[in-house]
Amino acid sequence: MAETNGVQAAVDIPADKAEILARPLEERDDIVVCENVHKWFGDFCAVRDVSMRVKRGEVVVIFGPSGSGKSTFIRMINRLEEHQQGRIVIDGIEMTNDVRNLDAIRREVGMVFQQFNLFPHITVLGNITLAPQRVRHLPRSEAEALAMRLLERVGIPEQAQKYPAELSGGQQQRVAIARALAMQPQIMLFDEPTSALDPEMIKEVLDAMRELAATGMTMLCVTHEMGFAREVADRMAFFDEGALVELGPPDQIFNNPQEDRTKLFLDQIL
Amino acid sequence: MTARAAPAPLPPATTVGLLGWLRQNLFSSRGNGAVTVVLAVVLVWFVFNLGSWVFVEADWTVIISRAPLYIVGLYPYEGYWRLCICLLLISVLLGMAWRAWPNAARRFAFGFGAVMLFVGVFPHEMAPDHRALLLLNLPLIGLGYLLTPRPADASPGRLEAMAGSALSPALERVAIFSTPRRKVIAVFVALVLTMILILGIAGVPGLDPVNPQDLGGLMINLLLAFFGIVCSLPIGIGLALGRRSSLPILKVACVIFIEVIRGVPLITLLFMSRHILPLTFPEDLNIDRVYLAGITITIFSSAYMAENVRGGMAAVHPGQAEAARALGLRDWQNTLLITLPQGLRNIIPAIVGQFISLFKDTSLVYFIGMLDLVEMGRVSVQGNQEFIDNGREVYLFIALVFWVFCFSMSFISRRIEGALGVGRR
Repeated sequence: MAETNGVQAAVDIPADKAEILARPLEERDDIVVCENVHKWFGDFCAVRDVSMRVKRGEVVVIFGPSGSGKSTFIRMINRLEEHQQGRIVIDGIEMTNDVRNLDAIRREVGMVFQQFNLFPHITVLGNITLAPQRVRHLPRSEAEALAMRLLERVGIPEQAQKYPAELSGGQQQRVAIARALAMQPQIMLFDEPTSALDPEMIKEVLDAMRELAATGMTMLCVTHEMGFAREVADRMAFFDEGALVELGPPDQIFNNPQEDRTKLFLDQIL
Repeated sequence: MTARAAPAPLPPATTVGLLGWLRQNLFSSRGNGAVTVVLAVVLVWFVFNLGSWVFVEADWTVIISRAPLYIVGLYPYEGYWRLCICLLLISVLLGMAWRAWPNAARRFAFGFGAVMLFVGVFPHEMAPDHRALLLLNLPLIGLGYLLTPRPADASPGRLEAMAGSALSPALERVAIFSTPRRKVIAVFVALVLTMILILGIAGVPGLDPVNPQDLGGLMINLLLAFFGIVCSLPIGIGLALGRRSSLPILKVACVIFIEVIRGVPLITLLFMSRHILPLTFPEDLNIDRVYLAGITITIFSSAYMAENVRGGMAAVHPGQAEAARALGLRDWQNTLLITLPQGLRNIIPAIVGQFISLFKDTSLVYFIGMLDLVEMGRVSVQGNQEFIDNGREVYLFIALVFWVFCFSMSFISRRIEGALGVGRR
C-alpha cells in the first residue's frame, strides 16, 4: 500500500491527495473503469474482455508474457490504441470519438514510454514546457518554473539546458516522467519504463516512480520489476493471451496465486 | 582499481604505417598489385598530358578578357557596383555563419574571402573602385563575425583571446545578430536588398532598373538555383503535408502535382513555360522569360522537395507522435512542433544535394534563350573569330566554376550535418 512504503514523510503531498490517501482503498472512488474491453489487430484479438476498476491513488502493476496485451491495454487508457468493444471511463469521462472528451482524457492521463520518446530536437526544459505552454496555455515563465520544480523532484535540475541525447538513459527516462507530470495528470501510465535501461540506471527510475506513488498518484505500470511491484503495488494484474487472468494484492499474487497460469509465469521469471 | 592492466599488445607491423597501408589497400594480392601498377601508369600519363596542355599549350586570354560576360552576362557596366554591394551583403552573412557554426562555415567564409582577394588583386582590367569594393569583402566578413555573439557552447575564438577581457563587453554590445529570429531577419533583409540592387527600382537615382534579359552568366545560374530552392522549400513542405493529409481530395491533388512534375524533364517544363503557357495569358500580359524560368524551376524543384520532406518526416520515429499525442498535443501541433522540425533536419543533406543538381540544371535555361554561364561560354567562342579555337579552355573553365560551387556546397552540408548532429540526436 502506498501509505505504508515509508517514503511518504519525505515528499510533499497536496492536501486533496492527502485526504484521499487517508482513506482506505475500498472507500475511494474509481478513477479508471474498464468494462469488457476488446481490441483486435486485424483478426488477432490483442485484448479480450478485460474489466478492471482502479481506485484513486492506487498503484496497479501489470505483468505477463510478451504479446499478452498488457501494453495494448494501458495504451487504450489514453487512446493511443482505440478500443473496439466495451467501455472505458476515465475520472468520469467516457472514452468516445468526441475530440473534447479525448482532449480532456489526455489531460488527465500522463504516459511514460519504454523508449522515453523525448523530443530530440529541443532541450530538456523545452521538452517539459512544450505541452504546458501549448495545451494548458501556461505563460512561458510559469511553465519553466514548473519544469524546474519537476526536474528537482526527479533529481536532475542541472540538466535543464541539455539535449536529450546528452543524457544517460536513466536521466532521459526521469525527464520523460517530469514531462508527463508537467501536464499535472491524475493518472500516470508506465509502459515498461525500465526495460530499455542498463541495470545500473534502473534504480534511479524506480526511485522516481516510488516517490511518485508515495504522493498519491494513480499509477498503472507495465513492468517486470517484481521487487518494485512487491514494494509499491496495491494490486497486481496478470495478463496472458490478451485476457486479464488474475488481479489481486501482491501478497496473493506472489504467495498464493489463484490461477495456474499466474503461478507458472512467476515460476519462470523469479 | 589498484592493479594496473598489462599494456595492450602492439598490432603486427605489417598492418600499420605507410607500408602496412600500401600492403593492405593496394598490394593485398598479386592481382591487386598488377591493377594498382596499371592504373597508376594510366593516371600519371593522363595527368601529365592534361597538365602540359593546361600550363603550356592552352591560351587563357579568352577567359580573362570575357570574364565579366561569364560572371554577370550583359549586366550594364554602370551597375557593377551594385553587384559588388550584393557580395558585401553575402560577406556579412558569411561572417555571421562563421561565428554561429564555426566548424561548418569557417572554411567557406575563408574560401569566399580568398576568391575576393584573388579577383581584387589579379592583374587585369578592372576599375579601381570595383577592386576596392571586392577587397572590402574581407573586413565585412570580419564585421559579420563580430556582429554575432559567440555560441554558448563554443570556446572563445582567437580574436577574443587576443583582445582579452577588456574588449568583450564592447563585443557583446555590438553583437546584434543574437537570436535565431534576428539571424533570419538579417538573411531576409539581405535577400530583399540583393534583389533590389540587382534589378533596380524605377525612379531611384543610381538604381536604374535593369532589363531582366541582361542578367546572365554565372549570376543567373546562382540566382535561379538559390531562389528556386528557397521558394520550393515552403511549397514542398506544403505539398508533403498535403500528401500526408487524411483529406482525400487534398491528398490526391498533391500526389498528382508531385508525380506529374517529377515525371517530366525540366527542359520540357521550361519549353512549356515559354511557348505554351503564354498562350493562356491575356494579350497584354508579358512576363519576362527570366521570371518564367524562375517560376518553372521553383515548381520543378518543389515536387522533388516535397518527396524529400515526406521522406524526412516518415523517418521520424513513430514514438515521437505517440508522445506528442499522449501529452495532449493536437495533430497539427505534433506536425509543426515535433515531426516537421525533425524531418527537416533529417533532409539537410538531401536539400543540399537537390540544390547542387538544381544549380547544374539551371544551365538548361539556354533553351529559352537565356545567356547563362554555359551558353555564354558557347556564344563567346562561336560568335567570335578570335576565340573560335578556344572552346576547350572555356568549357574547362566552366566545369571548374561549377565544380568549385558544388563541392563547396557539399562540403558545407557535411559540416552542418555534423554541427546539428544528424543521426545522433
